[in-house]
Parts: sequence; C-alpha cells; structure tokens
Amino acid sequence: MALLPFLVGLLTLALIYGLLALGLNLQYGVTGLLNFGHVAFFAVGAFTSALLTLPPRGSAAYLQADAHYQIGLGWPVPVGFLLAGVAGGLVALLIGATSVRLSSHYLAIATFAMAEIVRSVLTNADWLTRGEFGISNVPQPLKDTVIPAGVYPYAYLAATAVVVAVLLALTVRLTESPYGRALRAVRDDEVAARSLGKQTPALKLGAFAVGGALAGFAGSLWTHSLGVVHVGQFVPIVTFQVWLAVLMGGSGNAYGALLGSLALMAITQGTRFLGDVPLLSGLTRRNPSFVPSLRFVLIGLLLIGVVRFFPRGILPERPRRPPRNVGRRGSENRLGSAADAGAVGGGVSDDRPSDRPASDRPPSDDGTSDDGRSSEADASADPGALDSSPDREPR
Amino acid sequence: MTAFLQTLVFGVATGAVISLSAVGLSLSYGVTRFINFSYGEFLTLGAYFTVLGVALGLSLPLAVVLAMVGVGVAGVVLARIFFDPLMDRGFLALLVTSVGLAFVLQNVVRMFAGSNPIRFPLPLMRPWHVGALFVPKVPVLVVVVALLAMVGVHLLLTLTRVGKMMRATSDNPSLARASGISTARVLAATWFLSSAIGALGGVLLAMTQIAVQPVMGWSFLLVVFAAVLLGGIGNPYGAMLGSLVVGLGIELGTTYVSPDYGHAFAFLILVLVLLLRPRGILRGAF
Repeated sequence: MALLPFLVGLLTLALIYGLLALGLNLQYGVTGLLNFGHVAFFAVGAFTSALLTLPPRGSAAYLQADAHYQIGLGWPVPVGFLLAGVAGGLVALLIGATSVRLSSHYLAIATFAMAEIVRSVLTNADWLTRGEFGISNVPQPLKDTVIPAGVYPYAYLAATAVVVAVLLALTVRLTESPYGRALRAVRDDEVAARSLGKQTPALKLGAFAVGGALAGFAGSLWTHSLGVVHVGQFVPIVTFQVWLAVLMGGSGNAYGALLGSLALMAITQGTRFLGDVPLLSGLTRRNPSFVPSLRFVLIGLLLIGVVRFFPRGILPERPRRPPRNVGRRGSENRLGSAADAGAVGGGVSDDRPSDRPASDRPPSDDGTSDDGRSSEADASADPGALDSSPDREPR
Repeated sequence: MTAFLQTLVFGVATGAVISLSAVGLSLSYGVTRFINFSYGEFLTLGAYFTVLGVALGLSLPLAVVLAMVGVGVAGVVLARIFFDPLMDRGFLALLVTSVGLAFVLQNVVRMFAGSNPIRFPLPLMRPWHVGALFVPKVPVLVVVVALLAMVGVHLLLTLTRVGKMMRATSDNPSLARASGISTARVLAATWFLSSAIGALGGVLLAMTQIAVQPVMGWSFLLVVFAAVLLGGIGNPYGAMLGSLVVGLGIELGTTYVSPDYGHAFAFLILVLVLLLRPRGILRGAF
C-alpha cells in the first residue's frame, strides 16, 4: 500500500470533516444548539453542487459517460460550490425556523427527524438524485485538462486546504466578534441574554444557518473530490462522527474542531487495516461485515469515552475573563464566557445583586442582535448607559 | 371501503408494535429524564435473542420470555456501566452516550450475526376471511400480545409496590427519596422493565417485518419517539394513544399518499407535534 496517497486522502477527508465540524461547533459549541441532523445540510450541499455542475443532458460528456440523471446545468464548479453553501444555509434556515425555539432535548430529536425526512426525500426523488443508484460522473474541476490525474489528489488537497483556511478565518472572526459573544451568551444563559434584549431566536437561527452553510460547502468539496454522489453516503452516523470530532477537539474552539476531525479520520481510516491483522482475518472470512462493524463499535466507544473521561477535548475553549469590578459573585460563575473582554466599564452593577456575568452587559435598545454591532457600540462607547436604565423590563 | 378497513387493520397492528416500545421508552424516561437513543437496540437484541433461542431448539414462546429476561438484565447492566455515572452531568452527556451505545450494540449484533436479514421463525398462519376483508393472523396476534403486555404494565404500575415506587420516583424524585424509596433500586427495576418491554416490542416488530436485521431497532426508533412525544413524554398512557395515531398515520399515508415514504410519515407527525403541541396530546410528566 502506498503511504503517501493514503495520507493525502486522509488529510483531504479530515479537512472536509473539519468544515462540517466547524459548522457544528458554531451551532453546538458556541451557541449550544443540539443539532442531531447535521448530515442533512452536508447532503443538500453535495447534491446541489453535483447537479449544478454536471454536464447537461444530451451533451457529449453526458452521452460519453452513459449517464442517466435528469438535471445537469453544466455550471462552473466554483459556482456550484458557492450555491452549495447557500443551499445548505437555506435548508438550515428552513429547519431552524420551525424548530430552533424548541428546548434542547426536543431540538435534538426534531433535527434528527428532519434529517431523516431529507434523506427520505432524496432517496425517493429518483428524477433528481437517481435514488440509491447515485450519480457517478460528478465533474472534478480541471482534472486532465490542466492538472494531470497523477497529481490531482495533491492539487485537490491544496485547494481544499485554502478553502477551509479561508472559511476557518471567517468563522473565527465571526465567533470573536460581538455577534459571537451574543451567541455564547445564548449558550451560557438564554434567559439572561433575552432579558438583556437579545433576540435569542434570531441569534440561534443565524448560528444554525451559518453552520448549515458550512456543511453545505463541505458537501460540495466532498462530492467533487470523489466524483460520485449518492444518498447512501448521508446516513445519521455521519452526524455523530462530526459530533465526535467536535467533542474530541474541544467544543467551542474552532481550531479544536479541525484537530478533532484530523484525530477522527486518523482513527476511522487507520482502522481500515484491522482486516489485515492476522487474528481477525479468520473472522473476516466468515462474516464480511465483521471489520466494518468493529470500526463502528470503536466509534461508539470513543463517543462514550470522550464524553465521560475527556469532556473538555484536546483544545478546550479559551476561558474568557469576566469583566473586572463587577462584584465578587460575578467571578464565581462557570467560565463567564458570556461577558467577554471587559468591555463593560467599572462598578456599574455594584448596587444591585448580579448572579450572572451576562447580566452585566448593558441592555441593547434596538434588539437587532442580528448584526450585533449595535450592542458593541453600546458597550464600548457608553458604559454608563446602565445607570440611566438599570431596570429595563425584559421583553 | 374494503381497502380502507384493510388499511385500518394494519394501522392498528403497526400502532400496537409502536405502542409497546413507546410504553417502555416512556417508562425509562419517566425515571431517568433523558431520551435514550440506544432504546432501539433493545428491540434488536430482543428479536435476535429470540431467533437464537429458537435456533437452539427452544419453543418460540419460551425463547421470547428468555430473550425478555436477557435483555432486561442487559439493560440494567448497561445502564449501570454507561448511564449511572453520568446522571449528574447534564443530558447532553447522556444523550451522546446513548447514541454511542446504540452504535456499539447495533454493530456488535452485526459482528456476530452479519448484516443480512434473518427470517423470523414464525410458523405459517393462514389469514381469516371476514366478508371481503382479509385479516391475516399475524397482526391480530401482535395486537393481542401488545394489549396483554400493556395491561400487565398497567397492573404492575398501579397494584404492585415496585410499580408505585416507580410512579412516585417519576413524579418527584426527591420526595420519593425522602419517603424512604431507594431510588437506585427503582432505577434498576425501571431499566429492567423498560428493556424487557423493548425486547418484546422487538419480537413483535420482527413478526410484522418477517425478518430481523441489525438496523431494525435503530430505524424504528424515530417512529417510537414520534409516538412518545405525541402522547406526552414520560406518560405511558399517552404513549399508547400516540402510537395508535402514528401507526394509523404510517399505514394511511403509505396507502393513500405515497408508498415510498413509509416511516417518513411518522417523522412528519413527530415534527408537527414538536412544533404545534410539544407537550403531547395528554400532558406528559415534566
């Protein structure tokens, strides 16, 4: 077995899963949303990108590949990639709009069920997806024309790395912005965030949609790297593998999500060779699904073990300082991440009991937390604003 | 009209299978307060243990009883190992652990029994003809067994000491503890009961599906969730009602809307319930 191609494949896969994990990290790690249906956005992105870029029906390439799909627009791959993200985001918006208000347990089940509905629709919409057969001639950009097939995996890895790096930078920028702070406030104490005028449903929906868009991008990268797309790839275990990556890497930390994906891929791809272990090969001959099953058992055990013994992950979220001078009780809170960066000026709340760091943030008047910029302006420009309206009614 | 009645018969049978499993899941939720994603695997295990028992030469009813006991004990042991240490760690830990456990159990079954479906060893039974209606015996048998089991659960919950202790713990754990109920023992009893019921549910599921396969429980799980949530979570009686609705919904949807979607109708019901009436038809225990 050639080691180098294997490593290149592993890294590409790790980056694609890293993108998925980045999306889930934004939803769960930062905002606290239990999304158990992440694979749906991945699937939608993959199919969108594939269908948009496939050579049109009846074209020479279509005939040459002896293909049978109905829709193919023959658009350039970058357009397919962008629209895959849009599609993933839109589906997330649709699913989120109906279910993001549900409390945690219910959100988990609702998203899980929605993902199964999406899979069911994709399986049965033969005209669109060719159902169980899948579509096997998804274009691979520039292959054979510009880049020879021999070095193609390396080029694809490089391109994927660039794309993921850009999206990582944007995501980190987003989560470190006041908007990201508002998202963490929702995670840490939704009631407090709401009572400070944050539109928590809109914040949650936003995080859900952006996470879905990231998964959509991942779907596009995935389908063009394989040149194949079919519904059987998008089963619930994909969702939970991404969960494993996020939890292993350290939830709440974008770099952790990437690192977790790398670890995940090292484990899942590394265990492909279990069949070659002398002791196991006898069992494999009797039951061909023995080794694949053993790998899933390992994933399950890993999920259990990480949650139980390693809940903070490899790269835990950076502890965020509570604002200074907010009274003794403020510093006793866990992590205190809702109130970041000490933007709030001194002593504004000494005169009233404060149980939560989030409650030390000034209330924002406009409630348009969608861009979050207004609350930043409040916090930095006018720390005394609290004194003028300390007891605003929660909405 | 005949076709409609026919659909109703199958709907009731599907509802009965869901119902029994939903009662089991609901019982365990009532005491443990988290939604167990590995519950489907108890169904799978129950069906496979039964197949194993029959293959070893036992009669079918005896194999079913032994499978129920075996899965019940397995449920207690697995809960002791995997869930009890996490009880104070919040429900995300429990939820993710239960998903992990589901993968482990499902694939352990696959490792030893293979992925291919195995025929469930049910003797061939000729259908009855009632007028123009054709009533197969298997669904009737399924409904009867499910009803008997649920009556049994009802009597257990209302008449026996352990049943009363379970209900007390479900209503108010700290009050139950304060009045001298050993919560640990109630927890173990609940795990045993809910897993054993799940095993019987798995047997009934295998009877309606004719074959057993490793994913049967996992893919049935959302249907059970739908019924449980529809009935009001943690409320076994609501679960029975919710299951009937979901069972009829699946069969009517398959017959009159599109045969391809099957369980997707249950998921649709599930999503609608979550959106419109998250506390279920009968209010659940919260």
